Amino acid sequence: MNRWLDRGITLLLLALLGWAGWSILHWLLVGADWSVVTTNLPLYAVGSFPADQRWRPLLWMAALITLTLLTLTGPKRGWVRRWLPLVWIAMAPLGLWLLAGGLGLLPVGTRSWGGLTLTLLLTGGSGALALPLGILLALGRRSELPVLRWSSAAYIELMRAVPLIAVLFFGQLLIPLFLPPGLEINRVLRAVVAFALFAAAYIAEDVRGGLQAIPPTQREAAAVLGLSPRQVLQLVVLPQALRVALPSLTNQAVGLLQNTSLMAILGLVELLGISRSLLANPAFIGRYLEVYLWLAAVYWLACSAMALLARHLEVQLDPARSAS
Amino acid sequence: MFRSSSRVLIVALAGLSSFLASCASLDSAAGSRLDLVKARGELLCGVSGKIPGFSFLSPDGRYTGLDVDICRAMAAAFVSDAEKVQYRPLTAPERFTALRSGEIDLLSRNTTHTLSRDAVGGNGLRFGPVVFHDGQGLMVNAASGVRSLADLSGKAICVGSGTTTEQNLNDAFASKGLPYTPIKYQDLNQVVGGYLQGRCAAMTSDRSQLAAARSGFSDPQAHQILYDRISKEPLAPAVVGGDQPMGDAMTWVINALIEAEERGITQANVDAVVKQAAADPSQTALRRFLGVDPGLGRKLGLADDFVVQVIRSTGNYGEIYNRHLGPDSAVAIPRGANRLAGEGGLMISPPFT
Repeated sequence: MNRWLDRGITLLLLALLGWAGWSILHWLLVGADWSVVTTNLPLYAVGSFPADQRWRPLLWMAALITLTLLTLTGPKRGWVRRWLPLVWIAMAPLGLWLLAGGLGLLPVGTRSWGGLTLTLLLTGGSGALALPLGILLALGRRSELPVLRWSSAAYIELMRAVPLIAVLFFGQLLIPLFLPPGLEINRVLRAVVAFALFAAAYIAEDVRGGLQAIPPTQREAAAVLGLSPRQVLQLVVLPQALRVALPSLTNQAVGLLQNTSLMAILGLVELLGISRSLLANPAFIGRYLEVYLWLAAVYWLACSAMALLARHLEVQLDPARSAS
Repeated sequence: MFRSSSRVLIVALAGLSSFLASCASLDSAAGSRLDLVKARGELLCGVSGKIPGFSFLSPDGRYTGLDVDICRAMAAAFVSDAEKVQYRPLTAPERFTALRSGEIDLLSRNTTHTLSRDAVGGNGLRFGPVVFHDGQGLMVNAASGVRSLADLSGKAICVGSGTTTEQNLNDAFASKGLPYTPIKYQDLNQVVGGYLQGRCAAMTSDRSQLAAARSGFSDPQAHQILYDRISKEPLAPAVVGGDQPMGDAMTWVINALIEAEERGITQANVDAVVKQAAADPSQTALRRFLGVDPGLGRKLGLADDFVVQVIRSTGNYGEIYNRHLGPDSAVAIPRGANRLAGEGGLMISPPFT
């Protein structure tokens, strides 16, 4: 008896799932009008960058994708592997040069930056600023100097108590009012700094967690070996602490990437902002579902790539692996 | 320890903010923004970037729309090249800050001209002539037989909550003693969704937004925007107040767009009209308007032929309107109050003398 009921329920659920799957597939293939995505692909990628200069951000993104693929699937040893970290670090100045111009390229103002390029630049720029700041704050919070300890703790607690959107509003709307007329701090720079200041507080706590995971005996052993306090920190404590903190730092990075979409309501045309501008085009009115599904796919792809890279780094840093 | 370090912090912050405030009050009396624009050779124009028909991104990455064409007309008049504009997409809360902090020279972003935005005690802006007379309206299903506010008595109306839109709706129905049921939503897209699902007999918003929303419907003809207008929203460009050369130049560029339509001067025929005026000394008013006889442009600090530059690059007001909001455009809004005064609308230019 029970078995028949189970079968009935299973069949019913299967039928429901099949029907839902079929309707979604039907809409994706027949019902949806993807022209709003296909005709605007360059805009999603680079925003309103001057058309004859679009190759610059596109080149940067192609380099990023190639590097990601190379890191994830490339040869495990050899000279390629050795140079990869340096190439990754070089991507930041390269990207800035390609976008901003100068040194032989036509200068392009930050007003023309947009789309996925701007999203990646905001994430990368603020992450690169926030990580060192966060490490310093974490060390400061564990310092034996009371002023340093208290000010680090105060900063971290203050930043964590303020919503991100308030920090961004302050940076975008209030800072310009304080500045003398004529002096203008670049909007993208203001956004990057605001994101970095905010993320640093969270990164500091992640790193502190890592620092606390290192047993004090290690410090003592290193000190006995005659290492100076700086060397203890640099050679023994920090490398291990950062490795422990890596999963939570990845979390922060993924969160940072998604938080950059908040800039859309503050007038930057990053990935979400450019989509909202395109939705205002009378030719594409009402195509919300297509655009937001497409956005979800792009964000998912970018976040997955970041997560995979971080996982790769974890494996690389695994002491068991390097010992073997 | 914490207490004393926080006191130091507060003193430092107070010092910093007073320093910044003193910097801010050092208003540069160095001259008009117009001279700055001309020296720079480029106009920084604040737009929305998200309003169908007014400013949006076209697939080639350029901003398009009525508000954008106003920016282009200004650039044509100020620096003789309509393409020399940098657009700055702005959200509603930051638009006035951007103007005051000098991030933009001119705001052309669906901004309603009101007393408190104009007055020194408020935002202290200087508004130009109205470029689009908007107003709150109601959209109903054409088959429902509703033709006026009175027909909506006792019915449900979809509205965005917490907005002046909601307030205006309430005022309009209360003043006529008509009952109605408001169905409130967070934003316009949800209002549209509720209306299309049949939760209400009518939806309300600015008429331009109603028209834009309707153009996305599967059957736009089945919906009708009522004739009744329950608020007035005169949209105009603005610059910082107290800068007369900049304000005057903005005002007269828009007047030139309207005057050109009154005189039938279009993008296509402007060069022919100039040639004809140059050959005919009796056309004194036309010659002054087009700068064939010099004098008017110079008084504004612009080139004498600024009107010709403007019309050549954007066309007259009617052409701009038809390009973005006309019957053949995707966001068709009947011209109504935006017709010339001679044709029953509100658009009129003071004389160019």
